[in-house]
Amino acid sequence: MKKILALLAIVLFVGGTAMAQEEIDFERKQAIDSLALEKVRDLSKYIKIVGSKETAWSEANRVIDRAEELFMTNAEIGVSSLHSTKIKYYKVRPYFEHLMRLNYDRVEIEWYNIEYVSDLQRQPDGTYVGVITIFQTFRGYDKEGNLAYKDTTKKDITVYVKRKETQIGGRMIGFWDVLLGDMRVKETANK
Amino acid sequence: MKHKITTVIMILLAAFITLGGTTSCKSKKRLAREAAEAEYKARVAEATKDLTAILDDETMWTLEEKENRVQTIKDWNLQNAEVDDLLFQVEKKLARERAQAEQKAEEERKAAEEAAKAKLPKNMLETNLGKIAAAGGTTQANNLINETLQLFESNNVPVLIIISQAGGFNDYDRPTTIENYLNYVKDQKVSRNRVANLKFNENGKITEVELIKK
Repeated sequence: MKKILALLAIVLFVGGTAMAQEEIDFERKQAIDSLALEKVRDLSKYIKIVGSKETAWSEANRVIDRAEELFMTNAEIGVSSLHSTKIKYYKVRPYFEHLMRLNYDRVEIEWYNIEYVSDLQRQPDGTYVGVITIFQTFRGYDKEGNLAYKDTTKKDITVYVKRKETQIGGRMIGFWDVLLGDMRVKETANK
Repeated sequence: MKHKITTVIMILLAAFITLGGTTSCKSKKRLAREAAEAEYKARVAEATKDLTAILDDETMWTLEEKENRVQTIKDWNLQNAEVDDLLFQVEKKLARERAQAEQKAEEERKAAEEAAKAKLPKNMLETNLGKIAAAGGTTQANNLINETLQLFESNNVPVLIIISQAGGFNDYDRPTTIENYLNYVKDQKVSRNRVANLKFNENGKITEVELIKK
């Protein structure tokens, strides 16, 4: 019995090591890097849509559903303000609901300089993990159209990319699942 | 006396002409027979050679050319056992080839018909994706989405997006549905992918979409 267990342990260890060592080539890695950046850019568009006061409630809710799908369960988004040193962290849906309720007549949100600060690195379980940084400029306008608040925030988003499989039309499809983790505020400036 | 000599000469002349003519006619017939025999032998040899070549696939002729050649040989009506046997075998072979050619032509016709049928929704889908991305407002984009969804079996038709084909196989993004994808194009205001493949049901509605990064 002990021998069988020992053999099983060796098989599992060797199999696990072989899987962990499975590397992907440069071209495929580039495609995954681009895919993760694209998901972050998609998120920036969703934030812009939900933040816009012109977006209908039903549309905003649909977009929040899509945005939620970009994140891992329990991921948090940091929100900062020039009026406070504290950074509030929201779960994804509450973050978007907070964004919808902001007390401005018009809101402009722009993301720029979206790039990797830490390249996607393969973890022992096969997940690729990296960090993408973004700069966000927020502008809130009052009823008269005057700029009431403006800041620029640097945020870091952890990205997780994992190879998964699903069955479609009777065949197995291998795909790369990109999920965003926490979005941490690194600095906020009056710019 | 003179009359007698003249008569003898006339008789001799007639005999000479008669005999000479008969000999010449016999010779011509023989020559004609020999020529006919030679021609027959040549045709048998030619027919045997051509039919054997057809049977062994040693010609560069098209199926039509082979069929024409067989018809010519049949028209010669050689009545030769060897040729008749070869004709029987070749005709069987060509009938098989004709059936295969017709089947292939039918398959090609069907494939072309399918491609033409698929081209229309493919072009329409490509065009509408561009229009949705460029829509002036949500209402216009939603109308285009509803119009586009008519091409599909349901709003939940799967959409696969190829992100890479490196190493000889497809890497995909997380699969989505056509309704979500069309809304994604509306939200992002850009159509980043082109249509690679479509699958259809028997009613001509799209049942699966495969996109690829532009």
